[in-house]
Amino acid sequence: MARPVRNGLRLGFRHLGYIAVAFVFVLPLWWAIVSSLRPNMEVFADIFPFTAKALVPVPFSLEAYEGIFQRGFGQIIANTMLVAIITMIGGLVVNGLAGFAFAVFDFKGKNAILTLIIISFMLPFEAIALPLYSVTLQLGWLDNIAALIVPSVANGLAVFLFYQFFKEVPKDYLEAARLDGANWFDVLRHVYVPLSIPTCISAGLLLFVFQWEAFLWPLLAMPSQQFKVIQVGMAAFQQQYQTIWNQLFAVAVITALIPIALLMPLQRYYVQGLAGAGLKG
Amino acid sequence: MSRTRSPLLLIVALLAPAIAGLVVFRLYPIGLAVSDSFFNMVRGRQVFVGLDNYLSLIADSTFWKSLQVTLWFNLLINPIQIALSLGLALLYVQKFRGVGFYRFLFLIPIGVSLPVAVIIWRIMLSQDGLVNGLIGMAGIPAQPWLTSEGLALYSIIAIATWKGISYWMIFIIGGLQNISTEIYEAARLDGASAWQRLWHITIPLLRPTLLFVLVADVSINFLLFAPIFMLTQGGPADSTNVLMYEAYKSGFIFGDMGRAMAIIVVVVLILLVIVGLQFRLLNGKQGAR
Repeated sequence: MARPVRNGLRLGFRHLGYIAVAFVFVLPLWWAIVSSLRPNMEVFADIFPFTAKALVPVPFSLEAYEGIFQRGFGQIIANTMLVAIITMIGGLVVNGLAGFAFAVFDFKGKNAILTLIIISFMLPFEAIALPLYSVTLQLGWLDNIAALIVPSVANGLAVFLFYQFFKEVPKDYLEAARLDGANWFDVLRHVYVPLSIPTCISAGLLLFVFQWEAFLWPLLAMPSQQFKVIQVGMAAFQQQYQTIWNQLFAVAVITALIPIALLMPLQRYYVQGLAGAGLKG
Repeated sequence: MSRTRSPLLLIVALLAPAIAGLVVFRLYPIGLAVSDSFFNMVRGRQVFVGLDNYLSLIADSTFWKSLQVTLWFNLLINPIQIALSLGLALLYVQKFRGVGFYRFLFLIPIGVSLPVAVIIWRIMLSQDGLVNGLIGMAGIPAQPWLTSEGLALYSIIAIATWKGISYWMIFIIGGLQNISTEIYEAARLDGASAWQRLWHITIPLLRPTLLFVLVADVSINFLLFAPIFMLTQGGPADSTNVLMYEAYKSGFIFGDMGRAMAIIVVVVLILLVIVGLQFRLLNGKQGAR
């Protein structure tokens, strides 16, 4: 009789612990969602003194979301989608091909080039943001959408993900296909691409999220801000409409929920892809 | 037929786009930073000044203060982030009914970009924000989280940690999944407590993964300045003025690219030394075992 009770208690404590940790992760976003669903005057209600009512959207209002789309937030989402999707498709092709070449062929200098690629992704983007600005100036790409996309297509981590995956594909497949007279592109198309869908998903998410979250670089590379991407647009919104709190929260919520909605169903691929990279890195 | 053809041309064609991209947009900028650090703009023309930009840093008290802030920031944030992401990864890999839901919640900060995190946290940490409301329940007076010299740096550490540990957790999960469950079973049969299993099995076997995470995390945090740029602009009283932000100010606010690049080169060199030391210390131990 005592045993089930003890087990039940342990399970209860375990959930309590997890809920406490999850609370810390969820609270900022939850509060932002709740505040975005209130009228602007009510955003800071129920905080002093704090009551649980601060965490539910009462009174409820959708005026914030109507407001931000009237201010052209839809265009900013479309811009960012464009940049992120082109980068993702270009990146999958470019990095996938490179990963394939590293995994399948042996050639002189392979290890040296691989090392260089690993270094390139260990060095964070922030280190090269300022010098990259000079490169963009030299190319004449300032304020050009190419400056947002092209530098992010080649991605060392994505090359590495593909390399690791393709290395594990048994060479027998390849030999068999080659003996049947298939050329390299057929092999790539009919053997490697179908097998690598999970890797494509994790690398694609990586590239998409990277562009979706880009802030510093679009700020430097697009000084005139004719073409705004989401993170910059959000920061500008914050400066411009400081006290329209509920709209500011609505902007933040949409900016966060789009990548989260993508990550949620594909979580497994994202985690497995990155987790594998850490092991070999 | 095609087998006789050497695939060298093919290899070049496959690699060229990625390599070109990485060379032009990753390696060349690094070279450019180094070379720009030897020049100064004088009346719109680049003039070679040798090591002047570096030498003037030595006499520059702002630089030293900023270096101090950078080192203190990193001394705190890196151990905190790694310990917490290890803890989080251990929670993530547990198996029980309903854990999938928690797993998803743990990943939320990955979807929340740094600017979003900063905007939400800034409002949460404001004088009449949610955090002050919550601590008010315990009778603690409201704190000036981001506007006081004594607290701003720690608030930034907290925000960056909230945003960062989910990402590092993923790599540690990979390492944990690689440890065979038989070792744990054997240890359990020998009567090792959960704590002993963590210290004597998990952490030693996780060493390569932890080293990778440590190096990558230190690299990111050493160069981190976006949250400082958005939250405090280095203030109050330069208490959050890390070197990368000092470089940004130099280049983009005061138009002194030579000094900016010299600072970046110094930062990256210090970082390389730190990473080298980490490899030596942590890999060395493993080799000796």
